[in-house]
Formats: sequence, structure tokens, C-alpha cells
Amino acid sequence: MKDSLRQSMALFHTWSGLLLGWLLFAMFATGTAAYFQDEITRWMQPEVTGDAEPATAAEGAMRYLNSVAPDAKSWYISLPNSRSATTQVYWQPSGERPAKRVETSALLDRGGHAITSRETRGGFFLYRFHFDLHYMPVLWARYLVGVAAMFMLVAILSGVITHKKIFADFFMLRFGKGQRSWLDAHNVTAVLALPFHLMITFTGLVTLASMYMPWGIAANYAEQTAFSEAVFGRSAETVPSGRHAPLADLGPLVRNASARWNGERVGYISIANPNDAVALIEMSRAPEAAFGARGQTATFEGATGRAIGTHQATGSALATESVMIGLHTGRFAEWGLRWLYFLSGLGGTVMVGSGLVLWTVKRRARLSDPSCPHLGFRIVERLNIAAIAGLATGIAVYFLANRLLPLEMVDRTEREIDSLFLAWLGIGLWGILRPAGRAWTEALAIAGACFAAIPLVNAMTTSRGLLPSLLAGDWTFVAFDLVMLVLAAGFLLAAVRSAQLRTKAKDGAKPRGANRRATSA
Amino acid sequence: MTARNGTIGRGEIVARLIAAIPANYLLTSAATACIARLLWRGMGVDPANASVAATLISFALFAILALVAFGARSVVRLWLWLAGSGLTLGITLWFSLSAGARI
Repeated sequence: MKDSLRQSMALFHTWSGLLLGWLLFAMFATGTAAYFQDEITRWMQPEVTGDAEPATAAEGAMRYLNSVAPDAKSWYISLPNSRSATTQVYWQPSGERPAKRVETSALLDRGGHAITSRETRGGFFLYRFHFDLHYMPVLWARYLVGVAAMFMLVAILSGVITHKKIFADFFMLRFGKGQRSWLDAHNVTAVLALPFHLMITFTGLVTLASMYMPWGIAANYAEQTAFSEAVFGRSAETVPSGRHAPLADLGPLVRNASARWNGERVGYISIANPNDAVALIEMSRAPEAAFGARGQTATFEGATGRAIGTHQATGSALATESVMIGLHTGRFAEWGLRWLYFLSGLGGTVMVGSGLVLWTVKRRARLSDPSCPHLGFRIVERLNIAAIAGLATGIAVYFLANRLLPLEMVDRTEREIDSLFLAWLGIGLWGILRPAGRAWTEALAIAGACFAAIPLVNAMTTSRGLLPSLLAGDWTFVAFDLVMLVLAAGFLLAAVRSAQLRTKAKDGAKPRGANRRATSA
Repeated sequence: MTARNGTIGRGEIVARLIAAIPANYLLTSAATACIARLLWRGMGVDPANASVAATLISFALFAILALVAFGARSVVRLWLWLAGSGLTLGITLWFSLSAGARI
């Protein structure tokens, strides 16, 4: 009976893993990069240097917003954290007509001047892509991502049940043994970071919980807004009075709020009806200050700057949820922990990727005619190339485009993002047109070459190449270039290895030749 | 039952898939709503925390039910359980909502 359970779980694991594996791979890869989104943004904005202080940044943002949208319905200011140097502002115009996002947002330097040269979404794009995807409505993307995350959770659980000697096998990683090596790689990356995978998948679902499972809230609240008010302390939208009253200076208010929170930084400011007599300023504590993502807020009267009150949601369930979101986003993490997050995320990416490859390796050995596999097999094989080597190349090209596209290009931000997807598409097509074994070698080599080109192009196009950064002790830039070189080495090694296995399989009159050849796929 | 000798019929796979995904979602939703009501109305937890606690539990519940849908030996018994618990939860929820209004 135990074996039949294991059998059905194995079947379940294989198919639930395969069906959404490609999307999960992309989510894992870009989500892992997002742990360094602020550092990536810094690298993609080489003109911006130094750190920013929240109060000064808030004053700068206020000057900017007063000049472009003094009578907006609302302002939103995302202040720099301890790792970033730029301020992101959004505003909702007073007119009825909803404006385009690009026309109502700006990235500011610490003095409040819009950064117009080398426009980029930086690491923030990779962060958003891992749950909003791109070129599709955000709502659909989030449902799709939620389905994938639930499949992942179920695949992890069924994987644990399927595996007989999961902890014994954990110490085994046999190289060069074809299918066995792929299974080992899958198991080692899965088990090594099993708590991380379980945590990241579950908490990922929790970050968008009210979208995926709204019925818990709907059971107690007829209106979603009543729930939001109880949790976030947001009062209902106020109607502007029409009487002009200049907004109080934000700098001292930021210091005031910070002082209430034992000196922790203010992360976010939202202002309703700025420059109106009934203006309201709400400040939220920076998420990096504590485990829980959902911090305290402080509210001030806009015209006078008088503190109205502070709010923090209480209760064990809300605290648990807040910590779960905090664990997922890892904003509290210092350097050591941040690297551990990054490495665990890479482990997860390898786990999903090796699982996808394992599917084809296992089946190739059993094909009746290995030279002409059936359609389903070929589709999976090609999609694997596109998903794994294609996305890697795409991300590398995204970084290259940041350095190579003309600085004053129109819609530069969008063109950078387009470059990522064009490269991805290119590798996908390459994988379809070439024989599968060769396509793997070539696509991996292209990915490796693109990553290797990044430090070179960086050194040629900016004054912040690897050597000058090393001399200046600019560790963010040094680390970025080094990580690119490590990734390049990894992909080139994989390309060489897959080429070796292919030649070995070709000369090999050995009966196990077909099996060996499979590893290159 | 058929899982025992290693072959699973097409019809059985479809029945299990429907149980594992749409039926599971309906059942989990009903259970989540019931837990939220029970915590608030029955155990005096404040409504926001009751709702969030139920929501947090829901994901674990869904994952376990999905595994059960494929792990259960008999499809017929699986569906009887699903229908039975769905009905019970539905009736409980209906009574709870008619006894005390939402916010």
C-alpha cells in the first residue's frame, strides 16, 4: 500500500512539476536576482553615486512634486533605503482622465532632481517580473503565478513523499553518470535548501493571499475596504476642501516619525490632497527595519504638520502574516543573510531546471527510436532550452542593453526590457531550428558569452569598470561584475560539458552511449 | 484501487484531477470561510485576525487536499468524502451567515 502511494505521488510530482516548471524557473531566477534589486539598480544607474538620507530625499521629492503636480489628488514617495540612493515618486493627477504611468512617475536623485539620462527600471523590473510578468495584464499574471506557486508547493510535498531515502541521498552527488547525476543534482539542490523552498513557496502565496483566497476576508467583511481599514489604518478617501494651504515641510516630519520608531528609517510616504487645507500625510516604517514587512505608520495633518496618530495592526495572525511576507522578501537581511538568500534562490533555480532536464533524460533512455522522438518529447526538450538558456541570455542582454542603448533614447526603459525578451525569443527560436543536442551547447555558450561580455562592456562604456571599482573600494560594482563572471564561467562550463558528452556519445560504440548522450539534452 | 497494480485509467485520472483542483478549491474556500467565521463568532478573535488566520491555513489545506486527491486509494470514496464535507461546510456557513451579519 505504501508503494502504491509512493507511485501515485511520483506520477503527480513529475507532471505537476513539468506543467508549470518553465514558469517556475523564470520566477525563481528573477526572484533570486530581486534579492539584490537595489544593487542591480545602482549598477544600472552608474551616474548615481553615494547614499541618500530619507529626510533630505523627502524634501527633494516634495520640491519636485510641487513643481510638476502641485494640485494632484495624491502623491506617493518611495524613499531610498540603506542600500539605494534614488527616490521613486508617483502622483495621481487631479483630472478625471487617468494618465499613463510614465507621465505620472519619476526617479529622483537625492536632491530631488529627475534622473533623465539612462532611464532604466533596473533591478526593480526583475523583482516585478517574478510576480507581474510582462506584456500581459498584471491581474492575469498574478493568478498565473499563484497557480504555479501552488503547483510548486504540491510538487515539493509530493517530492518528499516520493523520495525513499531523501536524507541518505542528500550526501550523494555522482558526476558523469547520466540520468543518475541529474537525479542527484535535483535531490541535492532540493534537500539542501528544502526548508527554504517550502518557506519561499508558502510565503510567496501569502504575499498575494487576499487575491488567491479572498473568502476568509469575505466571510467576515461585506466590504474589502473595511478590512483594509482595520489592518492598514487607512481612512476613507477624503474630499479636497478646495482651500489652498501649502504642505508642511516633509523633512522635519520624516525625522519626527523616525524618532518615534527608535530611529528606524521611514520607507514610504503617501499624501492625500497635497497643498489643500485637508491634506493628510501618512508615513510607513521602512520594511528593512524589522522581520515583519508590515510596519507601523504615522499620520500627520498636511497643512500644519501636526501628528494625528500612529497605527500598527495587532494580533497574532496579522503578525504571522507580516513576518511571512518579511521572510519572503528578505528586506531585513544584512549582507551575510542576503547572500544566503541569493544562494538558496540559485539552488531553487537549479532544482527546477534540473527537474525539467531530468524529465527528458529519463524518457530519452526509454524512447523506441532515440533519433526521432515523439512530438511531446520534442516540445519539452525545446521548451527547456528556451526556458533555461533563453532566460539566462535574456537577463544578460538586459544588462548589456543598459550600457549599450543610446542614453537619451526615447522610451529607453521599455527598450531595455524589450531587449531581454527579444534575446529570450531568439534563443527559443534557435533551440527549435537546431538539433536539440547542439542547440543546448550553443545556447549555453551564448548565455555564457553574454555574461562574460558584461564586465567588459561596463569597463568600456563607464568609468566604473572592475579595476577602478576595486581601487575605489566600490564593492557593489565589484561584486556585480564578479557575479557576472561566475555566471559566465558556469554557463561556458556547462556548454563545454554538453559538447564533450555529445562527442563521447557519437564515438561511443558502448551500449550505454544513448544514455550518456541524454545528459547533454 | 487501480493505482495498486500500477495502471490508472483515463477516467480515473480525470476524476482525480477534478477533485484535486476545482473541487479542492471550492472545498478549501468553504473551509476557509467557516474557520474565519468560527474564530470570530465562536472564539472571539477579532475579525481581521480571524480572516487572516483562516487565509494562512487555507494554502496548507489546499496543498494537502491536492495530495490526498491523488494519494487516496478509492476514487469513489474520495468523492464521497469531498461531497460530504463540502455539504457540511456549506450548511454551517449558511447558518453562520444568517445568524450574524458581516461587517
